[in-house]
Amino acid sequence: MRDPHFPDRQAMLIIQTALNGLVLGGVYSLAAVGFSLIFGALGIVNLTHGIFVICGAYAAMVLFHVFGIDPFLATVPVAIAFFFIGYAYQRGLIQVAISRASLVASLLVTFGVALIMRNLLQLVFSPDVRTITPSYSFSSLTFGSLRIDIVRLIAVLVSIVFLLLMALVLSKTAFGRRIRATAQQPLAANLSGVNVPHVLGQTFGLGAAFAAASGAVLGIVQPFSPSSEDFWTLNAFIVVVLGGVGSPSGALLGGILLGLISSFTAQFIGPSYTNAVMFLVLVIMLLIRPQGLLGSAFGESR
Amino acid sequence: MDRRSFLKATGSSVVLAPAVFSSQANAQDATIQFAGSVPMTGAASETGLNVKFGYDCAVKFINEKMGGVDIGGKKHRVTLNLFDDASDPARATSLIQKQVDEGVNFFLGSFGSNIVLPTCAITEAAGRIMVQAGGGSDLIFTQGRRRVFGLFPRASRQFASTAAMFKTLNPQPQTVMFIYTNDAFSKVSAEGASKELEAAGYKVLNSIALPAQVSDVTDALGTVRAANPDILVCSTHDATSILIARQMVATNTNVKMLYQTLGPQTAAYVEALGKYANGVVGASYWDENAKYKGSIFGSAKDFAEYYRANFNRPLTYHMASGAGCIVAYVEAMKKVGNVTDRNAIRDALAGLDLETFYGRIKFTSQGDGDPVLLGPMVVQRQKGDLAVVYPTEAATAPTLYPALPWQDRT
Repeated sequence: MRDPHFPDRQAMLIIQTALNGLVLGGVYSLAAVGFSLIFGALGIVNLTHGIFVICGAYAAMVLFHVFGIDPFLATVPVAIAFFFIGYAYQRGLIQVAISRASLVASLLVTFGVALIMRNLLQLVFSPDVRTITPSYSFSSLTFGSLRIDIVRLIAVLVSIVFLLLMALVLSKTAFGRRIRATAQQPLAANLSGVNVPHVLGQTFGLGAAFAAASGAVLGIVQPFSPSSEDFWTLNAFIVVVLGGVGSPSGALLGGILLGLISSFTAQFIGPSYTNAVMFLVLVIMLLIRPQGLLGSAFGESR
Repeated sequence: MDRRSFLKATGSSVVLAPAVFSSQANAQDATIQFAGSVPMTGAASETGLNVKFGYDCAVKFINEKMGGVDIGGKKHRVTLNLFDDASDPARATSLIQKQVDEGVNFFLGSFGSNIVLPTCAITEAAGRIMVQAGGGSDLIFTQGRRRVFGLFPRASRQFASTAAMFKTLNPQPQTVMFIYTNDAFSKVSAEGASKELEAAGYKVLNSIALPAQVSDVTDALGTVRAANPDILVCSTHDATSILIARQMVATNTNVKMLYQTLGPQTAAYVEALGKYANGVVGASYWDENAKYKGSIFGSAKDFAEYYRANFNRPLTYHMASGAGCIVAYVEAMKKVGNVTDRNAIRDALAGLDLETFYGRIKFTSQGDGDPVLLGPMVVQRQKGDLAVVYPTEAATAPTLYPALPWQDRT
């Protein structure tokens, strides 16, 4: 070996890569959990998901530039606003389309709305690349030769907090029980006095809220423009296929797996192969375990 | 109105109508139609819009300020028919094919070699002309096309002036590393640059290829830190350049010089990086302080003043090169004396050697910009402004090298 410290360096490189993968995965998880919930509970492949994420980023940007609100704090108002937007969108548009045609109609509707929204965002904010840069966005932590930037670290912590929050809501609250009941057996839930259309709307709203909150976090981590929305829809889709549908733990697992795959491929095979490897894993996963690692959180009823 | 006056009125209007009509037809004859597509949305839209604003500016100036352009003793107005290709080569090719079918003769280019390459193949096959300032890939010029002209030198020749600038640095850098996007332009550009630098005696460390859409470069930067090159050259587009620079600051990845082909010129870059943009080096094909002059727009400074007075989007060199395409067309048509003889106009473009506000426009025999006359200047962000640091005769400031570590930048 040319370098006497090679084995050490190699070990450090692997640790650094794993660390990068975990951090990236945490962010991916948060960005995917809303998609996962909507897919799991409503059976809707929400192609507007990326738009919610990017709208969250723009909303955080506006709050930051106009009111000076820190993007991490902005996740809360952004999430609340998008809960109501998501609710209205599901009740006013998607549900109407589904009841008049079939579940497949939701694909077309969400795709159409995504196109319209993307162009609206371009009209309002221009197609130029935007970033949110709070004062701490350029700081990093160093442990020996390992480095990790603070923004990403906070982003992961926020992700974990949000994912825990969702897990608690789903498992411990009456609202979560209603969501699970509706997802498993809409008819039985209805007979037990659950207002099913209302719960479906609320679930969609929750998914939209999480997507937008993740957008506010992503806005600090990387540059964004209206055209980056399809990346986040696709990413969410992969995370859900890897981890399983409907649960925060599935999203976390899928996200971290995706992050690690991206990171290790980028480091040891080459960054231009990350997509190829990602989709290869996706295809293999669909062949051997189509329900994802953790399966559907809402049982076998669907 | 009685019957008689009604008949008089309608009768005279029937007699007059053909006269009005034919004068309109004459007005339509005396126009030059330029068409094409540019990315107004999608991944390449930031620079795509810059090029479009350049086209718009030239058309506005010729029509409004000059009252049209005198070709063959007749005033011609210029029209522009541009569509949004959404940064998508597939969409661009169908748009261009449609315009070819509609009989458009003179095309302006889109932005990005991945779009220019397939669209110029269509215009070439149909015998139409394209003058563009958005595609530098060697493939555009080396596949035997005769009717495609580029204001920029081909990618593999674009790095010559930068390599020459490296030679002026003190202390002399020893090692260079590349990060490039794996696309038609950036890859060829990085390979060309890498050869150029090796020939000049620099040690080129391993190159890192990035996918077109990238959300994280932490790992690539880990490799950079391990290799510790003196200069890091990023052959990347705007958004990726911003991402790389941001993550370099955040992970405290320092090099003595960060060079990024696209990015440092734009307003978005400065907005994203603030003080950390200072010291970053890039390429610029035009500067408003250059001492060039031409019959359209006047001097480089005049162009900048006219642009700023009429458009809000911050001025970058892409506006100038976009306007330069139309200037090249019009000057060639002036020489030919008509706007219909495609072959003669093509020959006039090929033989063009003319000073304009953009510089001396001259194409190589294969259609790309002359590497010496139209090659890039090297610019560096200094105290928030873009300073020309090379070539020495055009320099507005000395190169800051080695750059300060990120945390010391002000």
